[in-house]
Amino acid sequence: MKVDVQLTINGQPAQFRVEPTERLVDTLRERAGLTGTKEGCGVGECGACSVLLDGKLVSSCLVLTVAAHGCRVDTVEGLARDGRLNDLQRAFIEEGAVQCGYCTPGMLMAAEYLLGRYARPTTEQIRQAISGNLCRCTGYRKIVSAIRKTARQRAARRTGR
Amino acid sequence: MIDYLRLSQLDDVLEMLWAEGPGILMLAGGTDILVRPQPFAGARILLDISRVEQLRDIAVDPADDCLVIGAAATHEEVAWHPQVSRRAQLLAQACRLVGSAQIRNLGTLGGNLGNASPAADSVPALACLDAEVVLSGRNKQRRLPVLEFFTGPGSSVRQPDEVISSLRLPRQRGRQVSFFLKAGQRRGMCCSKASVAFRARSHSDGRLSGVRVALGAVAPTVVRVPEAEQVLEGRRIEPRLIDEAAAACSRAARPIDDIRSTAEYRKAVVGALLTDGLFRLGDKMKQRRRPRRRRPR
Repeated sequence: MKVDVQLTINGQPAQFRVEPTERLVDTLRERAGLTGTKEGCGVGECGACSVLLDGKLVSSCLVLTVAAHGCRVDTVEGLARDGRLNDLQRAFIEEGAVQCGYCTPGMLMAAEYLLGRYARPTTEQIRQAISGNLCRCTGYRKIVSAIRKTARQRAARRTGR
Repeated sequence: MIDYLRLSQLDDVLEMLWAEGPGILMLAGGTDILVRPQPFAGARILLDISRVEQLRDIAVDPADDCLVIGAAATHEEVAWHPQVSRRAQLLAQACRLVGSAQIRNLGTLGGNLGNASPAADSVPALACLDAEVVLSGRNKQRRLPVLEFFTGPGSSVRQPDEVISSLRLPRQRGRQVSFFLKAGQRRGMCCSKASVAFRARSHSDGRLSGVRVALGAVAPTVVRVPEAEQVLEGRRIEPRLIDEAAAACSRAARPIDDIRSTAEYRKAVVGALLTDGLFRLGDKMKQRRRPRRRRPR
């Protein structure tokens, strides 16, 4: 029995007719064409498929699309505005936080989740925030510094300095 | 083929379970279901209970002053709820160590129990907090001490027409001290190889009472360790007693060799975890008893 599901993906309403067993990561990649979200392990261990579901960071390989009915889904494709990367994405490039790039979409979403909750995260909080995301290339340092840099820039912009 | 049904009223869930019980697979967070090799094997109906508001509430029951935590509350919701932090710090601490944020935002406390893994991080904490599980069915309800819920790895006393509806945590009197420690492959995002939860009331003279020690992942179910509890009951924390209690934990452990660890390692590490936790707790309590003298100017 297929089920009708409505989602708001990156601000845009979307409708799908899916089997109850279909995972959100597959709906995003195969039906919505949003291949920025990667599947790594498929069992919630690597964080590559991380998206925001109603503002909360989740592994999209562990979410059934039917269970996300009516929810907002934010993916890495929603970060850029008018073809311009956002400050966090630019910081990743500037700090060399991307090597093979496979973990990057998940890292970016985990970082946005952190920055949405803490204006001035400590390094420990940053490390904690990406502890559910595996990177096999960078050794994490550059990722942490890119997130720290973005946090500083956003804080400065808020206070107008 | 499996049918999907999302219900928002607890009564409707209970009706459904009564009518279709054995064919139903209940979905809350889904984090334990979707990682199985055959996630939906044997089920005809996937019953989504994640949006039943009555199963998500966290509040104090004025009737008996218990903290009642809805079974469909996520680990993240439990971990940061002010009432949980105030009254059941140990549970908040354990929930914060479950998986990653990605898992904690999905996985629920009831699911952690229902899955009945001996490595479930919330369970040793709940056992030390004297928590009761509430199982609800159509026209019936029963409460049982949390450890009586489990009958073995992956199995429990829950009947097909019942749902875990909430956990009830009695109010603890006096100043409480507690810790939850786990050993795993890495610090973030790991399944416990062994875990230890500890809770006691600490008196002004440093003595402990109502001592609770529970171990995870070292036996077919989570176990309390009465021998370790008795060693510390009515006493102050001191090195000789720590050694005795840790040895009791290692003796009580009945671990297996599996993909995550060996039985030998688990037996040793579970004692080491208690040792570590008690030494740190002892230091903290000593500092509290001896307020630091003001430095002369």
